[in-house]
Amino acid sequence: MRRRGLWSSFLVPPGLWLVALYVVPLGLIVAASFGTVDFLGRVIYSWPFSGWDLSNYHTVLSSAYLPAFLRSLTFAALTTLLCVLIGYPVAYVIARYGGRVRHLLVVLLVLPWFVDYLIRVYAWIVLLGDNGVVNGWLGDLGMSGDPPVQFLGTWWAVVGGLFYSYFPFMVLPIYAAVDRMDSALVEAGKDLYGTPWQTFRYVTFPATFQGVVAGAVLVFLPASGDFANAEFLGSPGTSMIGNVINGTFNQGGYVPLGGTLTVCFMVGIAAFMVFYLRSASRASREGAL
Amino acid sequence: MSAVAEGRKHRRRKGFDRPRFLWALYVGICLYLFVPILVVIIYSFNSSKSLQVFGGLSTRWYRAFWNDPDIKASLVASFEVAAVTMIIATVLGTLLAFGLVRARGRLGGTANILMLLPLITPEIVTAVGLLLLFGRVHTELSLKTIILGHITFSISYVTVIVRARLSLLNREVEEAAMDLGATELGALRLVTLPALYPAIGASALLVFVLSFDDFVTSVFISGAGTSPLPVRIYSLLRVGVSPEINAVGTTMIGITLLIALATLPLLLWRRRTEPPAAAAAPASE
Repeated sequence: MRRRGLWSSFLVPPGLWLVALYVVPLGLIVAASFGTVDFLGRVIYSWPFSGWDLSNYHTVLSSAYLPAFLRSLTFAALTTLLCVLIGYPVAYVIARYGGRVRHLLVVLLVLPWFVDYLIRVYAWIVLLGDNGVVNGWLGDLGMSGDPPVQFLGTWWAVVGGLFYSYFPFMVLPIYAAVDRMDSALVEAGKDLYGTPWQTFRYVTFPATFQGVVAGAVLVFLPASGDFANAEFLGSPGTSMIGNVINGTFNQGGYVPLGGTLTVCFMVGIAAFMVFYLRSASRASREGAL
Repeated sequence: MSAVAEGRKHRRRKGFDRPRFLWALYVGICLYLFVPILVVIIYSFNSSKSLQVFGGLSTRWYRAFWNDPDIKASLVASFEVAAVTMIIATVLGTLLAFGLVRARGRLGGTANILMLLPLITPEIVTAVGLLLLFGRVHTELSLKTIILGHITFSISYVTVIVRARLSLLNREVEEAAMDLGATELGALRLVTLPALYPAIGASALLVFVLSFDDFVTSVFISGAGTSPLPVRIYSLLRVGVSPEINAVGTTMIGITLLIALATLPLLLWRRRTEPPAAAAAPASE
């Protein structure tokens, strides 16, 4: 009656799907990154050991693309920092002092995430654009200039937009970590005459650090590959690597170069991905996930 | 006893423990999150074309959007893509959850990594890969390729949600059903699946929203024909801001928030049924 391998066979259909539509495409990106195009503009893939053409990599590493890479990493890091600095206290106060409505309070923070991503970006144009609502008010208040204040097109508008897009990913894991933590630990810290700061520094923060790490990775990774925020809230001077890649593929650029940019981007963030995978698979082995 | 409690209460009122400042921060962040969306909703009912002057209530932009066949076609296309994605991804993701929780051996570990990777790969990377794949196998880009792409990134979300619930279930109930003569698959269908319905339902609705709202994957692999609504909005935005986008956006907000609110009871139901199963879980593993 009990069939061996029944459960393993459940892995096959989704496993094959992910291999065909996730792993193979990643391989194609790598193969394209060493490739060229034929006279019709179709990609000629280059497979390992069949003569790698490194010229795309020379182009990427030697030139104008470096600032976009650095901007992506800087913006994503700033966004992550902002999310921790604001997300931690907010998640903490909800989990510790939210009482019976605390789940509701978290849901309220996550709800905007359900609003379409592009509409959320667009909302900032409506609010802060040169002809936007706020500039209209400022004009009515008698501020001169056209527009009275230029909000958009700046780097901080891009970071603000990224923060807006990914903030829930930071709140949720920290909230879960604080909620899970035994509050008797904090009481113990106080009973040992720890000041509130010492209790936080040596008890609460270490106990919830895993949540911060998970949140940081979940914010940093998508933020680093984002392009809609930089496209609509920034200026050409604030374009990120996602904008360059998007331009290459969707506005008729040289496809193999787009592949190379994508590979370089992946290499740049690989450490974060590996770090997350290791902690996540450890957590699932321990049954925490 | 009560004196100790009193003492604690007293201490709780001092310094870092007084969270009034933190609640102010919470309110501030809520304003930051909701004000832009509310502005879009309010200005979608503006009778004037300007974004700066509110000329009075009107459904003018909704009529404009409703009389625009392109946008309506995109709305329908988004629904189709999201519905098909939801069904297939939910089935595949649930299968994967069962396999990961119950299969023994090394295969499970590899599958676990394979499941987690798409969750943390920046979407632009998977989108580039899919674009190359469909070019390589000479598949013309259409709504079908978009569905394939959406299913690929949705499977893992289903698996994570369903697995969390499945690993809490008491295996012994299923074994009891088998002792009473049910086959293994019969016990699965009659005992385990019903206990998972809230989790499966919640993940299905989440996938619907993810697919309905998806922009990055769609923009990379949409073809010349009808494109999903977010891609249409993207091309409208490239031209410039127009009040009609407010109306389209508000409609999308309404649809996705309705679905989000439908998801909540499912997740809360799960919470209420959790403790007895959770308490017995370690014994069965």
